[in-house]
Amino acid sequence: MEGQVGGSGEEFAVGCLLSIKTTLGDEFDGQVMAFDRFTNMLVIQEGLKSGPRRNIRLLNANYIKDFSFLGQADDPLDPKKCFLDLSRLQAREHLAVRQAEADAQRIGVGVTTEAQNIFDALSKTLPVRWDKTVIVVMNEVRVSSPYLPESVSGGTAAANERVKKVLEFERKRLQARGSSQG
Amino acid sequence: MPPKSTANGFGRRRGEREGGTRLESKSQSGKSNSGRVTTTGSVIGSKSGSCAVSSHDKLLYLASCLIGLSVEVQVKGGSVYAGIFHATSDEKDFGVILKMARLIKDGNFRGQKTVAEFVSKPPSKNFIIPSSELVQVIAKDVAVTRDGFANELQSDKQRELMIDSLISQTRHVEERELEPWIPDEDVPQLPELENIFDDPWNSKKWDQFETNETLFGVKTTFNEELYTTKLLRGPQTEELEKEAARIAREIAGEDTQDLHLAEERGSSIHENLGIDEETRFSSVYRGTGFDDSGYEEDEDIVLNTHNNETFGDSSGSVDQISTDFAIAKSSDGGQLSSSSFIVDEAQTSQSDGTGADLYCSEIPSRNFSTLDSESRVQENLLGECGGNNDAKDFVEKQPLPEDAQLPKSGDSQSSPNREKAGTIKVGRSANATPYSTSHVLSKGNEKTSSHGEPVDVAASCKAPGEPQSVNSRGRPGSSASSNSDRAAATSASSGPGLSPSSSMGSLSSEKSTLNPYAKEFKLNPNAKSFTPSQASARPLSPVADNAFYHPPNVSAVPHMHGLPVGFGMGPSLAAQQPVIYPQIAPMQSPQTYYHPHGPQYGQQMLVGQSRPVFYLPNYQPVSNSHHLKVLKCLTKDEIISWLIGLEHLCGGSALLTERNPERLLGIIFWEGSSAVHEIAIKPGSKKVLRDLSSSWDMIL
Repeated sequence: MEGQVGGSGEEFAVGCLLSIKTTLGDEFDGQVMAFDRFTNMLVIQEGLKSGPRRNIRLLNANYIKDFSFLGQADDPLDPKKCFLDLSRLQAREHLAVRQAEADAQRIGVGVTTEAQNIFDALSKTLPVRWDKTVIVVMNEVRVSSPYLPESVSGGTAAANERVKKVLEFERKRLQARGSSQG
Repeated sequence: MPPKSTANGFGRRRGEREGGTRLESKSQSGKSNSGRVTTTGSVIGSKSGSCAVSSHDKLLYLASCLIGLSVEVQVKGGSVYAGIFHATSDEKDFGVILKMARLIKDGNFRGQKTVAEFVSKPPSKNFIIPSSELVQVIAKDVAVTRDGFANELQSDKQRELMIDSLISQTRHVEERELEPWIPDEDVPQLPELENIFDDPWNSKKWDQFETNETLFGVKTTFNEELYTTKLLRGPQTEELEKEAARIAREIAGEDTQDLHLAEERGSSIHENLGIDEETRFSSVYRGTGFDDSGYEEDEDIVLNTHNNETFGDSSGSVDQISTDFAIAKSSDGGQLSSSSFIVDEAQTSQSDGTGADLYCSEIPSRNFSTLDSESRVQENLLGECGGNNDAKDFVEKQPLPEDAQLPKSGDSQSSPNREKAGTIKVGRSANATPYSTSHVLSKGNEKTSSHGEPVDVAASCKAPGEPQSVNSRGRPGSSASSNSDRAAATSASSGPGLSPSSSMGSLSSEKSTLNPYAKEFKLNPNAKSFTPSQASARPLSPVADNAFYHPPNVSAVPHMHGLPVGFGMGPSLAAQQPVIYPQIAPMQSPQTYYHPHGPQYGQQMLVGQSRPVFYLPNYQPVSNSHHLKVLKCLTKDEIISWLIGLEHLCGGSALLTERNPERLLGIIFWEGSSAVHEIAIKPGSKKVLRDLSSSWDMIL
């Protein structure tokens, strides 16, 4: 049923096993963990088993296109085992943000996947960073689009040469890999 | 409308972070409130037990479990964003905030699952998805119960490497319970293996090269001198060795606050403090924002420790110069031969190695004090030796004012009336000590920043007898506070001069390393200037890049020449030739060099880093034939003494310590100097009774 499910509390009883189709085309099965009528949010635990780690979806019930009732089981969430350690959560978040920021440094914005692949390949052996769409190696050598050996500039002659060589090599590897996969 | 389940009914706040307390209170209240009406009434109600949790609370709880996890959020248009779950909104609507969110699936390209070809923009630091847009939040591997949490914790730990900087910089670190290592029982005990190299004098000396050659026929090309300074073995080797050993013993026997140093030195001070093994031997320093050993982090303490070690650590006394200093002997009649200088220098450097180095290393990058002497301004600069930026201690020597005649450059050098006042000051870093007007300010501890500021000497040449004005060249930073040192040695009987009391007073508030009992330095404007009878004393250690020159030539010129560390007296000799001391060796210690016809004194050309300027008191040279050997450096609890004027020496006052009225103790140098001489003077006499060490002479 689409739309508000406000009145039909039973459908989304905790513990229900449902198979759901969303309006955006997602389909999945799961067990209801919670349903909040006010916000119309349905929390579903995917899979039919409850383990220590679960896949969870918070779905806005408005977007449920269709669902079917598969069965009824117990509340998958045992309130006695529930507690929140906020400091741990915060720490986890900080850590995740730190890592994400570090990762973000590695992603070039507005660059092609090819360029990103080259960057990733270079970063295995050389210190590289992005400067807009230019790959900066060892803080002195710059490789700009289209990231060919000819596009390498800057740095000392030795550094320049080295980057060129590595670039050529990595390109060949990528091509070989790409063609073998493609 | 069922009543709100929360106790603190906060209003709608979109995208507000779930505050800890809020959530907790919610959860708690949720859990405890059994009377709560729940939305899925019948079903929830059928839950047994006292914890009837409202569905909203459950939602919140589950949402909270997602904090910090990477989730994907699908929005109305079909686009999917991935990011770190940060918060959810309030009760009425369910919106979500992500951190570092990026688009991974664009709803506009329906059906295409690929990530966009281009990453069009960097991830959003905070990305808010209002409830009107939110379709679903997908999270994987979420721990929602205790078991899950334990599980997660474990895998988290395995994932993150505990590197030192992580431990020292992060506030919240999971501490592990350490257990002592116990070897397995079935491992054979081979006691002889443990001791094989213990005895350095093991009769069966192990020569690795020899062994290698016998076993494998490999010939070594190892030459120790490739890696270290070549030891010059000459006639003075034994002496030098003894000296070096003495210094080493002194240093090694010093007290320290540093746990690890103490341990190395065999002191057991911390045994009773219940410091566990880990801290004693191997712990990563847990400070605030500093790395591992904690060295960087607490430079002050460490360096102070070093300083303590170098200079002694008593509240009352300024750092002791533990190294011996020698004053270059000035040869009579003229120029110091550079060769002898070099030799001395070399010797000095060798014997004095440790001390000098230590000392050097402690020198703050820029320390200098401006002394105002009526006749000239001399600045003591404590240069930085080598690359040490953190010298905290420095020694300054404050020149005594010279005679009136001196300032005029026109004078020939003939007049022996040169008085050099020197003050050696060893100061504790970090104590900016504003000296009273008449004092020189020494700045210590300046971190490299303003090196190279030339010290200008001299601006004020005052007529003798005038009260000295301070020409302070102050450098911000900590200055040595050992002004009082200066006071101490100086002529008790001298006339007006510095106002020692003020300096003492001003210093009292600081970490006092001064010897409270030291006599204050009183400048005697009437003191005759010192002119060594022979060539001026050679500086012991070359000043690296300090163009310290001393205008020895000009007798009239007051010389305040700074002797760099290790410089003995280098008063300008009246009749002497100005000595130019070439830079002998690329030593780290400051090098002083005399400018033969140096510019007016008073211009201290300080190139690069400031060097300690060593000012010798001016003496009235008694006669050309008097040699006063270099003064011995201070005892452990004295700060400085300096050679003031021969007059004083001869008079048996001032410089003589109370304890040893017949001994003249004093050092003139600091870094880089070599031997320290203890001399004995009979009061009233102008001769040195005894010199306990050799080498340098200062001719007075």
